[in-house]
Amino acid sequence: MLEIKNLHAKVEGEDIEILKGVNLKVNAGEIHAIMGPNGSGKSTLSKVVSGHPEYEVTEGEILFNGEDITELDADERAHLGLFLAFQYPVEVPGITNKTLLREAYNTIARANDREELDPLEFEDYITEKLDVIEMKDEFLSRSINTGFSGGEKKKNEIFQMAVLNPVLSFLDETDSGLDIDALKVVSDGVNKIANDENAIVMITHYQRLLNYIKPDYVHVMMAGKLIKSGGFELAEELEANGYDALEKELVLNGEAQ
Amino acid sequence: MSEVIQRDTMLSYITGSVESSAESVAIRAINERGREDLENTPFPTRKDEDWRFVDLKSITKSQFCKLEEANAADVGDISDHYLPEAMNCRLVFVNGVYSEELSSVEDLPNNVIVGNLAANADNNSVKEHLGTITNYDDDVFAPFNDAAFTDGAFIYVPEETVVRTPIHILNVFTDAEKAFYATPRLLYVGEMFSKSTIIEEHIGLADNQYLNVPVTEFKMFTGSNVHHARIQRDSKKASHVSRPIAILDKNAEYHSYTICLGAKLFRNDPRVIQNAEEVNFTVDGLVLIDGDQIADTHSIMDHRFAHAGSHQLHKVVVNDSAHSVFNGKIFVAKDAQKIDSFQENRNLLLSENGKVNTKPQLEIFADDVLCSHGATIGQLQDEEVFYLQSRGLTEQKSRELLVYAFALESVESMEVESVEKLLLNEVIEYTNRDNK
Repeated sequence: MLEIKNLHAKVEGEDIEILKGVNLKVNAGEIHAIMGPNGSGKSTLSKVVSGHPEYEVTEGEILFNGEDITELDADERAHLGLFLAFQYPVEVPGITNKTLLREAYNTIARANDREELDPLEFEDYITEKLDVIEMKDEFLSRSINTGFSGGEKKKNEIFQMAVLNPVLSFLDETDSGLDIDALKVVSDGVNKIANDENAIVMITHYQRLLNYIKPDYVHVMMAGKLIKSGGFELAEELEANGYDALEKELVLNGEAQ
Repeated sequence: MSEVIQRDTMLSYITGSVESSAESVAIRAINERGREDLENTPFPTRKDEDWRFVDLKSITKSQFCKLEEANAADVGDISDHYLPEAMNCRLVFVNGVYSEELSSVEDLPNNVIVGNLAANADNNSVKEHLGTITNYDDDVFAPFNDAAFTDGAFIYVPEETVVRTPIHILNVFTDAEKAFYATPRLLYVGEMFSKSTIIEEHIGLADNQYLNVPVTEFKMFTGSNVHHARIQRDSKKASHVSRPIAILDKNAEYHSYTICLGAKLFRNDPRVIQNAEEVNFTVDGLVLIDGDQIADTHSIMDHRFAHAGSHQLHKVVVNDSAHSVFNGKIFVAKDAQKIDSFQENRNLLLSENGKVNTKPQLEIFADDVLCSHGATIGQLQDEEVFYLQSRGLTEQKSRELLVYAFALESVESMEVESVEKLLLNEVIEYTNRDNK
């Protein structure tokens, strides 16, 4: 489904590369976790894949279902079924969740020659999705993330994901700042959305989230590269020994730069 | 021997003389006073502090004639501009001239008057208040209106009377062979504990040049309440210089919302004067300009007695090489204690060449008051645009939604549904132009 080949990227207009040759393959039905210390490039990877205009791809390519999407705008990628749950969801006072989501849902439907939903149909559809994150109706008529608590913002990201039903979702530190109750709600939500036809890539600093959403694959990112991949046991190893131990091990083996 | 520099007067830009043809003695007296003021007051230049940022070229490079000499086009069908909520409560002025045919006033509560000034010239309230409320020193525009007007709108709401239907004052301007001037006038008298909603509109039907100089006077007696929306959609070649003023007795409430969409040059000097204790007022504005439009608001909130609550939210969106000026004065006199006044000017700049000047000006001589002000100038944040875009919205739609959200707060103050709808469409059209 997603194939990232030797991806290099930097902030537009600057010289320093943040991604230095990322390779990643994600198939339908899989859940991946990318872990790594702060500043390793995890968030940048999610932004580059979703088409943030601030970043420039200098080398490599991103293939989505065989199509090279490296040059596509963020909305065009969303139309293909890509989704990014933001680490810091943006507040937009004056526009309700419902307004944004109906516009988004119908724009994506149009782009894919699917039927659009009229306001009443959409109301039914979206209300049903509220169960995914255990929120009340009033959540729909609140301005996007405006005055939301940290937990509500993260829940809103997962809610948007449920409504837009993407093929591939990047969850950027969706666990950060969540108390245990909110973490459970968010994780349950993600587990309800996950199925054999879609895929999820979680980006996280901690193993905590992975206890609730079991990944099939765990990757470690350091200095702009995925340096080690494995199963769930890799996350446990990281939790026990920390990133430093792994870094040392790799240096000893001559695998890290 | 010192050389006297002869400065132009307003009349320099007017062809022919401004002779009054008003039948009413009271109106003729105001005309006479206006002419005297005009002859004695030089036309402003950028050396005058109040006109420092504004280029008055669109007036000074032109000559404006009387409507009779302009060969103006017929008005045609303007029913699209009627408000469904005010179908039977509408006064129409075409190029400043009252149209009885297009106006429709029915079903009003007893003794409420919604009509033209000329027909009501003998009304005691007209005789008592017309021309007594405007108070603009060293000004040429209010005196110009004083000198030239012969008619206008008159609204009278008697004691303890609530007019539930919004009152629509529709000023339309037609195409014409020559640039002409118009001097719309509105006198509102709200008796004790009366209440109404006024929608004052200025619409340019074509793309021609004209000079629109309206004066509105609101006399608000004890406990009276008015919601006054002003929507300026003049032609993009027109110049519009407005003098809206309200004077408030005890417990009166006056809430004004000015929406600026049209005109090449828009200059608006709203003033609210406190005439007794315990009043409440709002002087809000929303400006959406692009191309080479100039919109300049110089407001005065004049607190002269204790216990007033006043509020001003002035929102501006600037695109292309448009230019917005805001100078908001809050005056608090020495004994006017317990004033709670708040002013905010928020500007959204969408282009590199757009320009915003903002100057909050607080002059407070009392010591027990709560007055605050703030001014911000910002752009749409890339992160906001990306957030919406990552949800599938096009970049254009994302920007449109964000500008829409910025303007929404002001639009929602309209209280009349069709007006809100109309303005939301205007906002969408404005953001669409951005893309072309």
